[in-house]
Amino acid sequence: MVIVMKHQASAEDIGKLVAHIEALGFKAHLSSGAERTIIGVIGDERGLEPENFALFDGVERAMRVLHPFKLASRDYHPDDTIIHINGVAVGGKNIPIIAGPCSIESREQLFETARAVQAAGAKLLRAGAYKPRTSPYSFQGLGLKGLELLKEARDAYGLPTVTEVISPNDVTLVAQYADVLQIGARNMQNFALLNAVGETQKPVLLKRGMMSTIEELIMAAEYILAHGNARVMLCERGIRTYETATRNTFDVNAIPVLKQLTHLPVIADPSHGTGHWNLVTPIARSAIAAGADGLIVEVHPDPTQAFSDGGQSLKPEKFAQLVAQARKIAQALERTI
Amino acid sequence: MVIIMKHNATAQEIADAMKRVQELGFEPHPIIGEERTIIGVVGDERPVEPDVFDILDGVERTVRVLHPFKLASREFHPEGSVVRVNGTTLGTNQIVIMAGPCSIESREQLFEAAHAVQEAGATILRAGAYKPRTSPYSFQGMGLKGLELLKEVRDTLHLPTITEVMAPQEVALVAQYTDILQIGARNMQNFALLQAVGQIQKPVLLKRGMMSTIEELLMAAEYILSNGNARVMLCERGIRTYETATRNTFDINAIPVLKALTHLPVIADPSHGTGRWDLVAPVARGAVAAGADGLIIEVHPHPAHAMSDGAQSLKPEKFAQLVQEVKRVAAAVGRSA
Repeated sequence: MVIVMKHQASAEDIGKLVAHIEALGFKAHLSSGAERTIIGVIGDERGLEPENFALFDGVERAMRVLHPFKLASRDYHPDDTIIHINGVAVGGKNIPIIAGPCSIESREQLFETARAVQAAGAKLLRAGAYKPRTSPYSFQGLGLKGLELLKEARDAYGLPTVTEVISPNDVTLVAQYADVLQIGARNMQNFALLNAVGETQKPVLLKRGMMSTIEELIMAAEYILAHGNARVMLCERGIRTYETATRNTFDVNAIPVLKQLTHLPVIADPSHGTGHWNLVTPIARSAIAAGADGLIVEVHPDPTQAFSDGGQSLKPEKFAQLVAQARKIAQALERTI
Repeated sequence: MVIIMKHNATAQEIADAMKRVQELGFEPHPIIGEERTIIGVVGDERPVEPDVFDILDGVERTVRVLHPFKLASREFHPEGSVVRVNGTTLGTNQIVIMAGPCSIESREQLFEAAHAVQEAGATILRAGAYKPRTSPYSFQGMGLKGLELLKEVRDTLHLPTITEVMAPQEVALVAQYTDILQIGARNMQNFALLQAVGQIQKPVLLKRGMMSTIEELLMAAEYILSNGNARVMLCERGIRTYETATRNTFDINAIPVLKALTHLPVIADPSHGTGRWDLVAPVARGAVAAGADGLIIEVHPHPAHAMSDGAQSLKPEKFAQLVQEVKRVAAAVGRSA
């Protein structure tokens, strides 16, 4: 931590602060400049709050030097983490595509989509049984019945599955039915839920909150890692900005930033990142070009009849085109799909 | 335009609103629903502000149906526009790379940067003589002396140039020295400047304002087009969001959105879009994968000594790598670079 003293800070102010720093078990390193003094706080600062130092007399501000995350950091784990999910590796040279409907609506709909996405090249099936909808009047998902259908589809096609869990009480149940637990954007800072999935040994796909910074996303991952579950994947799914032409603004910058800061696989969700089916394919291509380790894409056999997210869901034939185009980009970067 | 009447609007209020529609030269088309009445306004709504109806009694709100731009619209000009600049064409299958230093600092610096970017594959040289800097104490550019150096380099290396113009009264001067006029992000809605560049026959690169929507960008282009200059290129350069890990958030969605809405070439600026040299190449690849027609990239022979934008400037060898990567991504989307 670096503490910048005010222009008029007295020697007494500085002396008190140094004593406080030393009492906390840190070393204080003073540098007196022409205009002001700054104090370097030496030691693992992660447990310290900069705002506490800013309360001392004579302090202008205190800033962190280290990233507040540790287990997620590439500094502590230079090699990429590869997560194995029932035969599919995420985080290596191969870029798996996760695809399927937003919601599980019926056996026919789920099986038809699973068959179509698998034929097109998807390696994992996504489908929601518990749906976090903005309106309490919207379809809320099939719940347990949906999980049973998901397991049936998984076993029938040999496709590992990703599904969302929205409550800590449901974690054990959902973990019995799915291969990957998804934490949705709205729950990125639901700490009880993060702790609960951290205590299982199931891979977790953690979506970035629509109003969360990259650092907050990594700190949310840190919760899961700190609870003992090392199999965490991060997902960029678009953030809220002033732009109204799209549902969200897909933060493509976040992909190389996350790849630098963390060792965890980075998955891109161009469906939520744009909100419009006709923008999904170009953004999927760009995400791979920017270094994403995987894609998660919404596909529905008949988007006009979808119970949720029809506007951003691809028809199976459009999805097959997306896979073919994404594969070419992957090859251009010496990766595979 | 569609006028939505309030739930409790009276028959008289509906009749008055329809009368106002007729007075303005449009045909009213009422639709009586179960909960409320809406009135379709038939005719070219572009010159009319929705407020003229919003203020009437019984009106809840008025919604535009048409895009407010016309000359920039793909509906009116389905083929992509090709802008010719001194032997180079923008808006074709060939992706054009513009590169060079943020500011012109000296003859040596400009020649060194120009040689390096030309050798690496750039076909247009960028360099600023008039610099819109946040602080009045920062380097403001070399002005006319810079323009003279730019022309000298252009003529020596046969490299067309792009440079920024900041004031309407300088347009004629800058146009004598360069092949493309750039309107910077801070001037996207400087309407006097837009009109001035609209009244000459030089190609214009119009950068998106850092707080402007896609529609506002297109309306700014409409100013230039409607003043008689058809050679306009649009540039996505990142927008301001809550994220602080990067200088701006590069709005990758804007690329396919713009390509769908307008026939004008779309150029990506990953240097400003990220603000960090180490993110420029992945985002450049992403932009080309998403469908950009060109790139504009800051390159400096010695970024640590740059007088502006050093942190986001690439060294020539890093730029050469970027060009190679971009060529592969371009080939993967059936284009060349």
